[in-house]
Amino acid sequence: MATRFIFSPLSAEFPSSNFAPLSKVNARPVLAFDAATDETAYWTFVAPQGFTGTGTLVITYAMASATSGAVGLQAQIEAITDGDSTDTDATTSFDTVNNSASTTVPATAGYIDQISITMTNQDSITAGDYCRLSINRDADGSAITDSATGDLYLIVAELRDAA
Amino acid sequence: MATLTDGARREVWAEAMRQLSNDREPISITKADLRAAVDALDTFLNSNAAAINTAIPQPARGALTTAQKARLLMYVIRRRYMDGA
Repeated sequence: MATRFIFSPLSAEFPSSNFAPLSKVNARPVLAFDAATDETAYWTFVAPQGFTGTGTLVITYAMASATSGAVGLQAQIEAITDGDSTDTDATTSFDTVNNSASTTVPATAGYIDQISITMTNQDSITAGDYCRLSINRDADGSAITDSATGDLYLIVAELRDAA
Repeated sequence: MATLTDGARREVWAEAMRQLSNDREPISITKADLRAAVDALDTFLNSNAAAINTAIPQPARGALTTAQKARLLMYVIRRRYMDGA
C-alpha cells in the first residue's frame, strides 16, 4: 500500500447545502458531520502518477460527544480525463457510492478511530485525471447503520493504492 | 395543543445533539434512544399540560400568556436541574 493523497479539513470544498462545516477543536481543524442530516465535503486532487489498482480511503475521525453506537461514512470519486465530455460547469459525475462498514465509535469522545473504505467504484481513475473526492456521513442510516449521537469530526483522510 | 409533529420532534432531537456536540459533553446513548426520550417528554407534557397549568396559582394562571407560563416553567427547570450541572 502506498499513500497517494492526504485530504485535510482546511483543503475541503463544500456543496451549497448540507455541508459539513469547518470547525476547530483544541486548535485542530475538523469537519463536523451532523448526526441528524447527511452532510458532505469535497476535495479536488490530481490522480497521482503511478496510481494503480483499487484505492483505499482511510478516514481518521473522533466523536464530539458520543461514547457508544456506530457511524457510517460514504465516499465517491469523480475522475475526469483530458478530452472527456463532462461539462464541469453544469454537471457532476461522481461514480457509485462506496460504503464503509458500520463502525463502533471509541468509548471516549475525542479519541480517534480510523475507518477504511475500499473504493471499488472509483470512476476508472487514471494517473493525471482531474478528480474530486466526496465524503459524507450516512446520518440517516439509509445504507449503513449510524446510531452514534452528535457530531463526527473528520480530522484527516488518506487515499492509498495497491502499489 | 396536540403533541409536536414528527418534524418538530426531529428538530428538537437534532438541536439537542448539536448542543451536546458544541459542549463536547459525553453521551452514552444512541440517536434512537435520544429520540425516544424527546418523544416521551413531548407526550408527557401533552398529557400533563393541564395539570401544570392548574399548579400555577391565580392571578398568574389567568393573567400570563401560554408562552409566558412556558418560559416560567423553563426558568424553574433550568434552576432545579441545569445550573451548575
